[in-house]
Amino acid sequence: MSATESETTRFPPRRISALLRNRAFLTFIIVALVWVVAGFAKPGFGSFGHLRYLLELAAVIGLVAIGQTFVVIAGGIDLSVGAIVTVSAVGVPLVADLGDPTGTVPVLIVLAAASGIGLLNGLGVAYLRVHPMIMTLAMATFLQGVLILVAGGSAVSAQNPLLHWFGNARPIGIPAGVYLWVVVSAITLVVLHATPFGARIFAIGANPLATALSGVNTRTTTMAVYAIGGLTAGLAGVLLLGMNGQGYVGIGDPYLLASIAAVVLGGTSILGGSGTYAGTIPGAILLVTITALITVVNASPGWRSILFGSLILALLLFSGRESRGR
Amino acid sequence: MPAPIIAARDVSKSFFGNPVLRDVSIALVPGRIHALLGENGAGKSTLINLLSGALPSDRGTIEIDGKAVAALTPAAARNAGIAVVQQELSLTSSLSIAENIGLGAYPRRYGFIDYGALARRAKAVCDMVGLDESLSRPVGDLPLGRRQMVEIAKALFREPRVLILDEPTSSLSAHEADTLTRLLVKLREAGTAVLYISHRLNEVMRLCDHVTVLKDGVVTADQSLAGTDADGLVRLMVGRDPGDLFPSWTATPETETIVSVEGFSSGPLKDIDLTIRRGEVLGIGGLVGQGQEDLLLGLYGALPASARRASFDGVPGIPASVPKANALGLAYVPADRKREGLHLIHTIAWNMMLPQFGRARGLSLRNRGKEKALALDLADHLGIKGDLTRQVQALSGGNQQKVALAKWMPSDPSILLLNDPTRGVDVETKREIYILLRRFASEGKAVVLSSSDTPELVHLCDRVAVMREGKLAATLDRDGLSEEAIVAAAMGAEEAAQAA
Repeated sequence: MSATESETTRFPPRRISALLRNRAFLTFIIVALVWVVAGFAKPGFGSFGHLRYLLELAAVIGLVAIGQTFVVIAGGIDLSVGAIVTVSAVGVPLVADLGDPTGTVPVLIVLAAASGIGLLNGLGVAYLRVHPMIMTLAMATFLQGVLILVAGGSAVSAQNPLLHWFGNARPIGIPAGVYLWVVVSAITLVVLHATPFGARIFAIGANPLATALSGVNTRTTTMAVYAIGGLTAGLAGVLLLGMNGQGYVGIGDPYLLASIAAVVLGGTSILGGSGTYAGTIPGAILLVTITALITVVNASPGWRSILFGSLILALLLFSGRESRGR
Repeated sequence: MPAPIIAARDVSKSFFGNPVLRDVSIALVPGRIHALLGENGAGKSTLINLLSGALPSDRGTIEIDGKAVAALTPAAARNAGIAVVQQELSLTSSLSIAENIGLGAYPRRYGFIDYGALARRAKAVCDMVGLDESLSRPVGDLPLGRRQMVEIAKALFREPRVLILDEPTSSLSAHEADTLTRLLVKLREAGTAVLYISHRLNEVMRLCDHVTVLKDGVVTADQSLAGTDADGLVRLMVGRDPGDLFPSWTATPETETIVSVEGFSSGPLKDIDLTIRRGEVLGIGGLVGQGQEDLLLGLYGALPASARRASFDGVPGIPASVPKANALGLAYVPADRKREGLHLIHTIAWNMMLPQFGRARGLSLRNRGKEKALALDLADHLGIKGDLTRQVQALSGGNQQKVALAKWMPSDPSILLLNDPTRGVDVETKREIYILLRRFASEGKAVVLSSSDTPELVHLCDRVAVMREGKLAATLDRDGLSEEAIVAAAMGAEEAAQAA
């Protein structure tokens, strides 16, 4: 047996150079650079009001991307988040408020429903062994059908005091939605990196077979991951409803690609097993920033969409390519 | 004797510095069925790969029709009329029987595939091997034995002068094997050179004319089979100097049974009775793929299994899932550590903690300080050196295996199941693992060691259960334990002797 080595050789302290290779940190740097450059180049971009507005938009993407981060780290993908956002944005006005003057009860009901949808996704993936892409895509299509039947083509307005507050209040000048995002992000980071449950998620994504043989109940963990995906998409949906004042079919559609792009821009491996929500946060901010910059360019919506797609691809080529050595 | 069609002269081959073949010569002569025998890992498959151009040799020459070939490629070997029926089937399951048979050599007309000619010629070879299925059936629909026949038909389609068969009968029914035997006799009369690899000694004794025996990459016999007995062949295959590799140990006196199963079935396993005792290392031997892995995984709750009666540490029944097996004190170290044992992209310390993560309930918080201390302790205990925040994939095979073992230590399992734990592990680590396993047993725990390395079974185990075709062929006690006895039981030498 070898001589006992010191703890510092066994667990060497991290160096500054490691930080420079940290994808989450790099994404933060990119966001900061873009903000500084755009702030100088375009008057008004760097104003507090504008940056606050960008963060408010990023909060919705960021919330959807929490669930997406969990699912992607666990080696799956959730294509139903957009539909779940719509379900909850349209669902709150449809649920009777049950005599609750604060409007909390319908929100809780909708969040429970969103989690339930996620749980069904997890059930299909874990027990029926349906590929996550197929399972969640089918779920999205199913939900869209239900929404069209229930809500039809018209927008529904919400008279919900709780959501109105979350969508419009600005304690100490910062939107309530951003507070919500900060709190939920903190919980997310703790769950991912400081609990055995979080470690199990990384394990499943990196090697499901070895994880199962190590005594991890992979099915329960998978179901929990997809339920979280449903819950955070639902949370994003109710926040969006609060900000928008009304919900309509299709309101959640842009958040599918946005959530996946935020996850990947933040350095989480699309192959699963590694990553962090700490990268998804700047990823989400980067996305809304790019969108804001494109709006400045005076172009038709078609060209804007083309520009947006190309920029995302370019960013991913620059920073997000998977190493092939697996 | 006619001149050989293909011959290897003093060929050697090593992988990563491990010599697999040393100065091996073999000559395949037309009109002769040549048997190639050897234990698992003796170098048989490597020799086939050299003869078929799939691998280049490090030294020595391959001669075709008496002329040395500088660098034999698979294409050149095919053109010279050498066809190989591999052990792992190489068929495309979505294509039809006829398409598979002709694959890569489709008859053409005007640049298009001539399906008419393909069907005619495929029909002819199918008749030879006794395949009566419709030729348009996808191969994926066929049972394993039939697929093996398609594989043989595919080799015959090219009208080979040399036919190499790697364990062709391992998945064939008795009837199919008989058809194959008749076919080979016919090919011999027609002047084809056949190289026949089989672990069934009675088959070899009945069918073959000449035998080459490999042991540890060296030819130990190259002789006519006439006048040779089965026991003599077994002796030529085994026998190695155990040297200082194995620690000395004293057998634990007979102790209480910790696991007993009766009529245990799982996957290909049929009706197995097995007892595992505290304080012993129970070896599981046999040729590769006789159900050893199914046995371990079945006991571990990772594969569906049933038994007439089962008891694990006093608890009746077989554990229904891996977490339940862990709760009963079982732990499993898999054979393919990269795929089944470790998370290569995660750190050494993290890998060692995984079973703890699996056991934790609810949303408790991790205790980093405790994790660090535990990882340090395990690393020191098992001699894993250096930075524990490195990814596991940076470690050598031996050290990876130590991590795969280390992760179970904190759970303090009472029954340790190991599947070929020393495969691809350097000698020094092997010895460390052996010491560890014996220490485990001396602490009153039960160790079940499935191994393809026969000396390991002989020198480390209190008892060895030998498996053949999903059944327990024999259970050998310490007194009757020898490499000869294990190999004889694994290959069914007794039956061969009775048949002769």
